[in-house]
Amino acid sequence: MTKKVLLKYSAEKTKEPILASIIKETGTLLNILHAEVSAEGGEILLAIDAPDAEVNQIIKLFEQRGIETKELKRAIQLDEEKCFDCGACISLCPTGALRLTDDYSVELDEDKCIYCEICVPSCPVRALKISKF
Amino acid sequence: MEKYKYQYLQHFFKFGGIELTKTKVNKSIAEINDRIKRGDAVVVTAEEMVEIVRERGEVEAAKEVDIVTTGTFGAMCSSGAWLNFGHADPPIKMQRVWLNDVEAYSGVAAVDAYIGATQLSETRDFEYGGGHVIEDLVRGKEIKVKAIAYGTDCYPRKELETIVTKDDLNQAVLCNPRSAYQRYVAATNSRDETIYTYMGTLLPNYSNVTYSGSGALSPLHNDPNYETIGVGTRIFLGGAQGYIFWEGTQHAPTKAMGTIMTIGNLKEMDARYIRGATIEGYGTSLYVGLGIPIPIINERVAKTTGISDEEIRVDLTDYGVPRRERPILKEVTYAELKSGRVEVEGKEVPVSPLSSLKQAREIAGILKNWIEDKKFFLAQTVEGLSTDQVFKPIKQIAAAPVAKDLMTREVVTARPSDSITSAAKIFAKRNFDHLPIVDEKGKLVGIVTSWNIAVAVGTGKRKLSEILTSKVIVASEDEPIDAIARKFETHRISGVPVVGTGGELRGILTSEDLSKLIGRRRR
Ligand code: SF4
Ligand code: SF4
Repeated sequence: MTKKVLLKYSAEKTKEPILASIIKETGTLLNILHAEVSAEGGEILLAIDAPDAEVNQIIKLFEQRGIETKELKRAIQLDEEKCFDCGACISLCPTGALRLTDDYSVELDEDKCIYCEICVPSCPVRALKISKF
Repeated sequence: MEKYKYQYLQHFFKFGGIELTKTKVNKSIAEINDRIKRGDAVVVTAEEMVEIVRERGEVEAAKEVDIVTTGTFGAMCSSGAWLNFGHADPPIKMQRVWLNDVEAYSGVAAVDAYIGATQLSETRDFEYGGGHVIEDLVRGKEIKVKAIAYGTDCYPRKELETIVTKDDLNQAVLCNPRSAYQRYVAATNSRDETIYTYMGTLLPNYSNVTYSGSGALSPLHNDPNYETIGVGTRIFLGGAQGYIFWEGTQHAPTKAMGTIMTIGNLKEMDARYIRGATIEGYGTSLYVGLGIPIPIINERVAKTTGISDEEIRVDLTDYGVPRRERPILKEVTYAELKSGRVEVEGKEVPVSPLSSLKQAREIAGILKNWIEDKKFFLAQTVEGLSTDQVFKPIKQIAAAPVAKDLMTREVVTARPSDSITSAAKIFAKRNFDHLPIVDEKGKLVGIVTSWNIAVAVGTGKRKLSEILTSKVIVASEDEPIDAIARKFETHRISGVPVVGTGGELRGILTSEDLSKLIGRRRR
């Protein structure tokens, strides 16, 4: 399963090519779901699709380079019984995790979800739920 | 000439769809029903009809096809149900009645009540409302009923509490004053904050678009002249067979925004097509599945049922402006909207349908199956629908005040280059909290509050440019006071600079100015 890891960079660290060097070093594809940089530092949310041992190794590499990491253990559910494919949620989703298919069904791709929770209250029948654990 | 002909046509259609121009194909409702009975009626959905008309032309299509089915499944706020509870012993004349804590209208005879879709629960706020009560009734769930009365000689009882399901009710009739808008505008938002509207959640700075309606499948758009649709038309309503019984409220056929009043037996409906809903920051509503069969009585009707998503245009409207006449940004087609991305102000943004296109298609398909299975026959209309009705705004005896009516025009301002000490002096001399900062052209560049000054003194900062807040919530001169009062509430602020279209400062409006007005209104 894809794991999601939040990286917190301090202001100085944002200038170093840490992400690129780790990708090069491990050869693992690190998918950036969301990135934000400000004067105080930055945040990157990664999706890593690799065996657990490999993910742990990658986390360790970031920490060795002074990056704070946090694995996001959350889950989003689309209740297919309740959902009636109205699509109210899809234009709010910043990553395209929620989308309309060719036959106008609404689909959720959790791997792309950054748990921003914008979609949750927008659902008129409360078919979307995020759980944290 | 063209215009005259159009009016002439409208006049005739209004009085029952009298044949005007001779058509090559002419079928009666009775003939089509005979075909249904024999099992050889040709039924297609409105989406399938687009291709047929495109390929073979309307005359051939009219010869070949007998019925076109349509469908939509959208939020229809103007929905509700009439319920009759039967009499209690001793009897009560319900003065007020609540169903699962949602009040129903009972200003009619003793035990009749109308539960409206947008009425909110008194205990669960936006999470539950009349729309949810209606869905729960359809699902056969138990509903808590509470009624109070003043008591009369014939109805002595003053209170009643009980639990009912739809089977316990004498009648449960879905009765919607306004259903199935022919088409509806698409919405976006120019403001720099997210807004919550009946058109869904609209992100700041035109970052998404929402729309409603099923385009080529839209029931009324497939017969916009109401040549076949009228009072008495039998339809698919919430999974059962229902009827059109009048034009809908706000019916505006000349703007291609016709509506219908619909009625049907709630007890026979299916909760897949009747869904209670919460629209964030707005309230509750009811999603209603509705489909109309269009009998192809001639090539004129064949042609209108052949309309495609590319041909149906709607105005992309800025819901960021809280006025009745909202600015229109451009026209978009349903084809563009259904593609999922639309260009707004130079950028491509995602689109939300709001009504379920998948279920609209499903409804058109079910209606088709019903007819093919001889479970559904066409009804002859007894009266046409108006084709020239105009939707008027409410008659207001006083115009609602706007910012420029109340704002203070003489505003003390400062420049970004002015010193903090000079500003401190201004604050000391006068009794106010906000000092607008303007550039040499009078354009607002920021604001400084007395709090900012107090904090800045002693930090070594010298110029106002170092401490001003540049992200200022402003109002425009023509912004209604009611909208500004909402801004004060949501942003917890006590004043706004009022600016012209180019951002130039025109005045200032404080919560004090507003409370003076509200005081006046109360008196
Ligand atoms: S929480 Fe919802 S809106 Fe946010 S990324 Fe996930 S699916 Fe998209
Ligand atoms: S808003 Fe809710 S019901 Fe509508 S498509 Fe999204 S999950 Fe489904």
